[in-house]
Amino acid sequence: MSAGTVAAPGRVEQPTAPRRGPSLVGGRGGIWFVLPFMAVYAAFVLWPLLYGLGMSFFDTSLVRAESRFVGFDNYVRLFADAEVWRTLGITLLFTIGSTIPLVVIALVMALLVQTGARGQWFWRFVYFAPFLLPVATVVLIWQWLFSGDYGLLNAALTGIGLPEVGWLTDPAVGLWSVVLLTVWWTIGFNFLLYLAALQAIPAQLYEAAEIDGAGGWRRLFGITLPLLNRTTGLVVVLQVLASLKLFDQAYILFRANGGPGGSATPILQYIYDTGFTDYRLGYASAISYVFFVLIILIALVQARLSRRSEA
Amino acid sequence: MTTSYRLSRRTLLRATAAAGGAALLSSCARGSGEAVDLAYWNFFGGSDGKLMVELVNRFRAEAPNVRVIDTTLMWGPPYYTKLAMACAGGRAPDLATMHGSRLSTFGRDLLDEWDLDELAARGVSLDEFPQPVLDRVLVDGRLMALPLDTHPLVLYYNTDICEKAGLLAPDGTLAPIHGAEQMLDAGRRAAEVTGAIGIALGSLHEAHIWMPFWSAYRQLGGQMRLPDGGPAEVDRDAMVGAMTFLRDLCDGTICSPSLDGQSSPAAFASQQAGFLFVGPWEVTSARTAGIPFSMTQFPALFGDTPYVRADSHSFVLPAQAQVDPAARSAAYDMAVSMLRNSLAWAAGGGHIPALSAVADSPEYLAEKPVSNYREAAQVVEFDPEAYFSGSGSTLMARAGQSLQGVTGRSLTPEQGADDLIGWLDDQLTLGNPL
Repeated sequence: MSAGTVAAPGRVEQPTAPRRGPSLVGGRGGIWFVLPFMAVYAAFVLWPLLYGLGMSFFDTSLVRAESRFVGFDNYVRLFADAEVWRTLGITLLFTIGSTIPLVVIALVMALLVQTGARGQWFWRFVYFAPFLLPVATVVLIWQWLFSGDYGLLNAALTGIGLPEVGWLTDPAVGLWSVVLLTVWWTIGFNFLLYLAALQAIPAQLYEAAEIDGAGGWRRLFGITLPLLNRTTGLVVVLQVLASLKLFDQAYILFRANGGPGGSATPILQYIYDTGFTDYRLGYASAISYVFFVLIILIALVQARLSRRSEA
Repeated sequence: MTTSYRLSRRTLLRATAAAGGAALLSSCARGSGEAVDLAYWNFFGGSDGKLMVELVNRFRAEAPNVRVIDTTLMWGPPYYTKLAMACAGGRAPDLATMHGSRLSTFGRDLLDEWDLDELAARGVSLDEFPQPVLDRVLVDGRLMALPLDTHPLVLYYNTDICEKAGLLAPDGTLAPIHGAEQMLDAGRRAAEVTGAIGIALGSLHEAHIWMPFWSAYRQLGGQMRLPDGGPAEVDRDAMVGAMTFLRDLCDGTICSPSLDGQSSPAAFASQQAGFLFVGPWEVTSARTAGIPFSMTQFPALFGDTPYVRADSHSFVLPAQAQVDPAARSAAYDMAVSMLRNSLAWAAGGGHIPALSAVADSPEYLAEKPVSNYREAAQVVEFDPEAYFSGSGSTLMARAGQSLQGVTGRSLTPEQGADDLIGWLDDQLTLGNPL
């Protein structure tokens, strides 16, 4: 979109006034305002980040005081550890499998609510409500729905003459049950982002298009979707990063055992199990650093792609 | 700026004085034999949790000068992680509950041993515990855990269903079952009566499926040694045999391959199944359901000796940076008190009391059906020894995956055995964190 074509009516360009008084940004006083944040950030983010990196070069154990420097041994070992690759694959599969519906369905929901005339507040509330629930509650609800022998989903399937699905028992289905649960739980946030973006599109655009004789579909593909590009880029980035962090819902849903045949063990769970259940902290740090680098790479590639599409 | 500095200094001085006074007061209190604080951690929820609170309250009544601060944490990996971190950090509770099978992780450095003289002074000696359990809690001859109970896999049966299926002896108890074929056959006949399944087994729950697997594996003569660095010393034939039995069991008629830890006891309680394979603690749900049932020792499916997977809820003294002698002494008092009062624990929770004074008492013998399987304590088989083994461990969770592959028929028993053995080898080459 070219921003110069539409100027919002009633907006007056403010001349930049000369600055009076000390600036919070450039002045000497500013540091005191950011210091509390910086202290907390350093203590709880930077220091653990560095400490963890250091730990990955030692055979640190949770249950033993002394540790030995092992150089890159942990890193060498993890590249040969089949479980690292298997759980990473599961995480990536989940990310792809969940991001697509979480973006597409959220968009469709936002469009329906935006164009649907009556009771907007109701639909907004209904679509967003699951997002407000804590993960333990969400999993509890879905555990009942997914249950093989008395679950509502299988009852509905058999009711319409379809075979039962092993939501929590079939290795081919386990991960997709997590996807289903996650979509239901978190789609409200993306929906809200899309709704806000839709509401920011000026009505004059649609009026002008209508005068030119554009129908509903034409307006959707000619105006709405192109103007949502920037939001879609944002939603995709946020969603990919959120999905890569898959842990809690899968961990609780399958009571920490990784799902049927281990088919729903994300790499974060493998890191958790290695560090906290098997006490091998050094090795767990090494795996988490490799995963950290991978996430940064993915984020950089995405940023690059979205910049290119905007250019 | 100056004002606030002066104010804060004054506050600091005041706080220091107050703290000093409080410390003085509390040391006076300690000196005159008054209250002792005793921190106790356990992982018991549900009906076991209620019984544990009862035991703690009994001790509170016996020792009014001890302030017991009991904390119940989430059972499984979270509990053991927290306890290990508390021990490693030197700020562990004074007393904690632990499964005997977890001593291979904790027994080396994280716990203090029990002083046999201190126990003797409270009237407890080692010859009062079942030998197989004692073997597990003694590490290099030192008593690292004080057993409260033994809880083996047991066989629950619905007397109505079994009577209709012709499985009862003339005295109304279950006719003895010899061998895997008879067990499978009993399951089939019970399924005919219920119209649903014969045996309820939570094959999706790693602990529920591990118990019959490990029992069958040991009955088949299987041994498992897990040396650091690997490879695992495993009897593959016995493993295939045990997995074959589980596969035959979960054929959809005898057992459903899709029951989890909650739905399997529920299936038994709602009379959808004639038998239930699980630990003794589900006696509560069966009693609450009001169904006609009894319990017996898990049978010998292979060979003549009914070896059975079991564990022991035990008390341990977590290592602390600074041990308060008064709290340590109170920990001995409390552990012994709970041992002595374990009849309530046994009668309500189904666990076999460890202390012979309780296990041989007429009151316990009269407790039916939970005293029916007390002989199981002599043939118990604990999990293999490794830092990643035992109740709520990685081995149990990972073995559950292989076993579910077999019961769900995505793996053959041979593939299931190779899958588990391959994982064990990988795990051992990763190195020991202890």
